[in-house]
Amino acid sequence: MDQIAVLNSDGKNELRNSAKKNVIAGTLLQYIVIKMGEEQYGIDIRYVDNIVRMQNITRVPKVQAYLKGVINLRGEVIPVVSLRLKMGLPADEYTKNTRIIILKTETAGNLGIIVDEVREVVTLGEDSIEKMTHEPKDSKTSFVNGIGKNGGELISLLDRNAITLETN
Amino acid sequence: MDVSQYLEIFLDETKEHLQNLNTQILELEADSENMDTINEIFRAAHSLKGMAGTMGYKRMQNLTHDMENVFSEVRNGNIKVQPEMIDVLFQCLDALEEYTNNIQQTTDEGTNDNEPLIKMLNDILNKETAAKEEPKAEAKAENADAGTGGSDKKWYDIALDDSQIHVIEEAKKSGQKVYGMNVTIQESCILKAARAFLVFKAIEENGEILVSNPSAQDVEDEKFDRDFTLIVVSELELDDVIKLAADVSEIEKVIGEPLALEKTKNYRPLDDEPAPAAAAEKTKPAAVEEKPKQQQTAAPAAKSGTEKKPAAGKPVVNRTVRVDIEKLDVLMNLVSELIIAKNSLVSASGLEQNNSSGFNEQIEYLESVTTNLHESVMKVRMVPIESVVSKFPRMIRDLSKTLNKKMELYMTGEETELDRTVVDEIGDPLMHLLRNSADHGLEDAELRKQRGKNPVGSIFLDAYQDGNNVVIEVRDDGNGIDTEAVKQKAIERGTITPEQAENMSEKEIIDLLFLPSFSTAKKVTDVSGRGVGLDVVKSKIESLSGEVEVKSKLGEGSTWTIRLPLTLAIIQTLMVVVGGEKYAISLGSIQTIENVMASDIKLVENKEVINLRGMVIPLIRMNELLDIESKATDDSLIVVIVKKGDKIAGLIVDDLIGQQEIVIKSLGAYIKQCKFISGATILGDGEVALILDANALL
Repeated sequence: MDQIAVLNSDGKNELRNSAKKNVIAGTLLQYIVIKMGEEQYGIDIRYVDNIVRMQNITRVPKVQAYLKGVINLRGEVIPVVSLRLKMGLPADEYTKNTRIIILKTETAGNLGIIVDEVREVVTLGEDSIEKMTHEPKDSKTSFVNGIGKNGGELISLLDRNAITLETN
Repeated sequence: MDVSQYLEIFLDETKEHLQNLNTQILELEADSENMDTINEIFRAAHSLKGMAGTMGYKRMQNLTHDMENVFSEVRNGNIKVQPEMIDVLFQCLDALEEYTNNIQQTTDEGTNDNEPLIKMLNDILNKETAAKEEPKAEAKAENADAGTGGSDKKWYDIALDDSQIHVIEEAKKSGQKVYGMNVTIQESCILKAARAFLVFKAIEENGEILVSNPSAQDVEDEKFDRDFTLIVVSELELDDVIKLAADVSEIEKVIGEPLALEKTKNYRPLDDEPAPAAAAEKTKPAAVEEKPKQQQTAAPAAKSGTEKKPAAGKPVVNRTVRVDIEKLDVLMNLVSELIIAKNSLVSASGLEQNNSSGFNEQIEYLESVTTNLHESVMKVRMVPIESVVSKFPRMIRDLSKTLNKKMELYMTGEETELDRTVVDEIGDPLMHLLRNSADHGLEDAELRKQRGKNPVGSIFLDAYQDGNNVVIEVRDDGNGIDTEAVKQKAIERGTITPEQAENMSEKEIIDLLFLPSFSTAKKVTDVSGRGVGLDVVKSKIESLSGEVEVKSKLGEGSTWTIRLPLTLAIIQTLMVVVGGEKYAISLGSIQTIENVMASDIKLVENKEVINLRGMVIPLIRMNELLDIESKATDDSLIVVIVKKGDKIAGLIVDDLIGQQEIVIKSLGAYIKQCKFISGATILGDGEVALILDANALL
């Protein structure tokens, strides 16, 4: 399983505890829960390479607006995308909670996405995930391919391919 | 046996052997008597056969086997090298290359048996040996008694004494058959004596070995080269006896035939008293007998001579280790990180204003170490262009035949080294240029004579290092480029209008040649004239960050100059600031840096230009290009003058940081980067800076 580098020690404990709580039978899937505005989203942990703090992003001219630029991740140059802009939300406000999640893409190497906050890792059984079909008109939901029920909370599960796919 | 793990090595080595064969056979064509070359060819063919056999590629093995047979006969002096033979051999090499390519793509050699080729090879063998036999027969007729000679039929070289002749005659009378046999053991065989022993044993189970040369004792003690000769008495048919011997492993070949006693040396009918006439003859054989002996002693001497020679004459091949290029890339990345770490130390030391000289010394030391380390890692990636250009002499030879023009290729600087990735890509463009020179450049022999030139055209391929670049020149002493013809063609094709043509400089006209599907060849040949050549050359070279240039003089020839960067991974750059962002510009494209007053900027066709020492240079405001607010407030502008070929432009930047060696990193496939950003690099402080491609701005 992939290692998740979590940066503040508080967060780390929190993640571990929450992972322990959810011991559910059946096929288990782990999701990293992120916060975007008031909504919670989940990203399949298998696609996550790393989570890093917000850092200085080098702007690349003449590219799509959601493409914020590139960062240096241990000697690799990684493009970074604003998930908010990509999903049609208001632009990011960087806070101390802002994180960049490094996703592994199928074809184009690693890609960073900027999220408001990383909250925890949850383990969901397959039975507590409701698959969703896309409604092409709704630009926001097309990034979501399922809803996970974690206790009383609902988590929108992000479709990696939709995030990493280039749009114009 | 699972051989898939050896496939890569097999392919690599096969290619090497094929290349070697190509070169050596070319040499053989020029100097058909050179024993070193022949030996080298034989060795390469032999290893090829062995390798193909081990890997289970039967067709390839068969073909190489037959080639080897031919070489072996050449080596033994039984066949003279003929031009037709060279042609057949080259065709064989092409077939082998096809096998190799098939194997590379599908791990299967394909189904082409190349029977015509194998037949041609056998024809060479048969025809030549037959032709050789004839004079031999004549020779035999001349001095029938001596009857020596046949290099294959060595059994006639054995001097039989009376008792042996007697036994043979007795055996014949009693209905048994007497054969002369020659058994050759494979060169690679280690236990020759053991193999020979097995042959002896197999034959003795079914017959009797009358005579052995060298003697059985010598054979047992391995005192023989590779073959030994037997005279066998047996009831079996010849083929069966040969099979007995050939079934022993590591036996290369067994030849034999019923022994004709009259042909053996020293033969005289036992019962006959020497007649007076024969007495005179008897002295003659004695005299002749001396000769073969001398020859025999001379032959081994010559042999040891040739066998030592290749050792000395063989090119000294450096001991090499094959390394996966990915592993090198990893090493390279580590070095890059080390450089970055070093850079951050350097900038940290600058920040702290720490003047302790010890600290600075250590940093300088680290700097020199990383620089050296970097250089040596780069060098590991460098390979001589030889691997690419060594196939060209063969190509020119073939072209010379297909085009029916006489030409010679002269190459220098094959040892010039380039980055592996560049070397792999440079082959095609060079091939296009050479073909172009051969087909369009050189005139045919008649015309050359009329013009007072050497009827044999010359094509030169020179490679050398020039600063941070490697230059490869393809030059011919042919007709040069007929700019008028190019102009006409371009007008005809509608590429330019006649008016435009009027005002075009010679150079601009020549540049037309690089346009896609432009060809001035009057007829499309196999070789060129389809108009796909030169634009491919140009785009390929440019994709390698290189450039190609032509100089031509009508009637005297043309020179094509390819200029390539030594390496693609690390470059010297000038760091500049635009609107608070740092950008790197490759030093290679920078000509000068100028301070220009804002008031000096003029407008021409609504575009900003400056007049710099008599040159009108268009300006590009980088902040506008990069969509960023300029922070420069001065009236005095900093202009970086960049140049590519004849094109020149001035880039207005906010500030200069200085010269820096940077490691080029890709922006990744995700960013469909704009044309003028050629990549990124990581600075000493860990930040990413983009690299401006000045060539794309022009």
